Amino acid sequence: MAHLIRKIVIVGGGAAGWLTAGVIAAEHRIHPGDGLRIVVVESPDVATIGVGEGTWPSMRDTLSDIGVSETGLIRECDASFKQGSKFVEWVTGDTRDYYYHPFVIPTGYHEANLVAEWRRHHASAPFADLVSFQPHLCEQGRAPKQNTTPEFAAVANYAYHFDAVKTGFFLRRHCVEHLGVEHVVDHVVGVNSAENGDIESLQTRDHGLLEGDLFVDCTGFTALLLGQHYGIPFISRKQVLFNDTALVTQVPYSHETSPIVSHTVSTARAAGWIWDIGLPTRRGIGYVYSSAHANDGEAEAVLLDYVRQLPEAVVDGMGPMRKIPISPGHRETFWHRNCVAVGMSAGFIEPLEASALALIEMSAAMLRDDLPATRDDMDIVASRFNDRFTYRWKRVVDFLKLHYVLSKRNDSDYWRDNRRAETIPSSLQELMRLWRYRSPSRYDFFQIEEIFPAASYHYVLYGMGFEPARDAVRGDFGGDGRAARFLQENARMTSKMLAALPTNRELIGQIRTHGLQRI
Amino acid sequence: MARHVLLNNVEHKDLRIITTRSAEYGDKVMNALTFPDEFRSIQAHYPIFFGKSADTGGFQPLAMFGFEQEENLFLNSEGWDVPYVPLTIERQPFLIGFQQRSDVGGVTRQVVVHVDMDHPRISHEKGERVFLEHGGYTEYLNRMNDVLYSIHEGVERNKGFLQALLDNDLLESFTLDVELNDGTGHRLAGFYTINEERLGNLEPEALARLNGEGYLLPIYMVIASMSNIRELIRRRNALLEA
Repeated sequence: MAHLIRKIVIVGGGAAGWLTAGVIAAEHRIHPGDGLRIVVVESPDVATIGVGEGTWPSMRDTLSDIGVSETGLIRECDASFKQGSKFVEWVTGDTRDYYYHPFVIPTGYHEANLVAEWRRHHASAPFADLVSFQPHLCEQGRAPKQNTTPEFAAVANYAYHFDAVKTGFFLRRHCVEHLGVEHVVDHVVGVNSAENGDIESLQTRDHGLLEGDLFVDCTGFTALLLGQHYGIPFISRKQVLFNDTALVTQVPYSHETSPIVSHTVSTARAAGWIWDIGLPTRRGIGYVYSSAHANDGEAEAVLLDYVRQLPEAVVDGMGPMRKIPISPGHRETFWHRNCVAVGMSAGFIEPLEASALALIEMSAAMLRDDLPATRDDMDIVASRFNDRFTYRWKRVVDFLKLHYVLSKRNDSDYWRDNRRAETIPSSLQELMRLWRYRSPSRYDFFQIEEIFPAASYHYVLYGMGFEPARDAVRGDFGGDGRAARFLQENARMTSKMLAALPTNRELIGQIRTHGLQRI
Repeated sequence: MARHVLLNNVEHKDLRIITTRSAEYGDKVMNALTFPDEFRSIQAHYPIFFGKSADTGGFQPLAMFGFEQEENLFLNSEGWDVPYVPLTIERQPFLIGFQQRSDVGGVTRQVVVHVDMDHPRISHEKGERVFLEHGGYTEYLNRMNDVLYSIHEGVERNKGFLQALLDNDLLESFTLDVELNDGTGHRLAGFYTINEERLGNLEPEALARLNGEGYLLPIYMVIASMSNIRELIRRRNALLEA
């Protein structure tokens, strides 16, 4: 008789565990016939306060599918809107050096060669500012929508900054109260194997045995099931991405009316970079650096110096600095036997492009859509899951590395080491050779759900001054004036949106008072 | 700019209000706020749509007069050319204000009449007198008091009405593409209407609840009002020919 998959046990709460539970439960709840049960077992230890985390626009669909309200997210998770990233001092290290990687794709991106038009006629203007209205919204502190825009709908494509711990609690309540997810608060103290090597059950401290058909490891760096139990090797990517330490803190705003910045600010420093994430109540700030290139004292001085120069901040109110070690890399496989890792148990790379939560969403979505019906088809699904996520991790590593390779900073060994050929994956070297002759295209990123689309590579490449080969560039379509018209169209849209959109702080305030409508 | 002051028979002894309906007196508007108790009169002439308030983002029912900002197809050189003028138009330049009053029983909030002294209807030479010679209320002011009171009650009732519509998933956004006789098109977006299919599929208990609250009749009034869209288009076409 077929061994049906009827019970999924997710070990570990937090954003990874509850997102996975919510995504699967929201879909399968509407088919009560298949009798699926989802249990989340979460250790009773109180989680620390979240630093503030960035997401991708996919989070809007994910949350909407789970069925929570956006108003609730804004009110309960210290959430704000994020329209992309601003990279400061990454290219030359000059104080006026910055570029944007916004979430809106360039106006006319699919219709004309905007890159060629930009080079030919506007080379002195920042690429993103010319082809997208969004950097202008960010610079002016505008929200990506109005208070009359329905929940999860955008005027300008957006994601969120939120407190990941509060978001975990928020999702937990929804999963338990509305989606029928079972919640067990207990420590997992042992793992029991079946004869075939599958996990049969978990030994808990107070709830006895917890049996299941599929186990999801959301235990963070610990990787209790995939790492500790199964011993799946960890593949370090430190030789490519050096950053192995984060020094994090929080800084309060000086006024209730201080602007809430609607993009992540990433500022390059001698041995890494500093993230600056504006939540409604405070900023979350962290220095991510390579411990081989800076010691603790140097890192603390860099972070403190950054905080001292912040506008609208109470420097004296700065929280303690917390040091978090990072092992950049991922597991060799993610789904082994009847156990799949989602979140940091699968891997973690510095948060430069906020890929952590995006990978969790993608993992949860694939589990939801390709959930094996029986133990018999599980290995096939697992193998495909592993192929897909091996590819995605590779893409994340390549894309992050690109930011370092394109930098012209020469102020420390850290930046020089980052450009050494032996630290650059051959796949990235190959793409960069190709892009000297043509812009990144969908032929370079051919999976259905690419983690970073070709447009993202455009923003980073041309934002950082990537030089093409002279006189040999292909793909000059749109020479009939189309590209020029799109640039004009973009300028028109920019002024229209600047006139209509409130500031990010205003909109967050309105949502906290009145809420947004669902439709 | 609006300048709202508390209406009183000393300061405003000689105040007159111009009641002529005309663009110069602020009537050239695309729509006006309405409420369930007024729907019966509104649906006789105007489509009733739902729009979102710019202040709160919340839904409110609107009597529609045109297809774009500052278009009122019911206004011509002779005035307002259908017999019923929505109360929120008629009330101009008066509005409801609130006053805190400390009594023995504590602080109470009292509804009072305010007037916008910067409104173009304000006059001292022509129009309806507001106060009688010795300070008494004129017929006109009594009427305005009634109008303001009805609006106040009606707007309060909108909250429950709209919540019931949302709870039952009865609102849907719609886009109206109008083709005019000269071949030009016009798109009206950002408004919402009743989802008739959802209404038709409501469970008996849900229908009974709506009826018990007195919301069912106004819902059907809104649906009936949709036939006035044709009249709106006819008026727009008539302007083209003129």
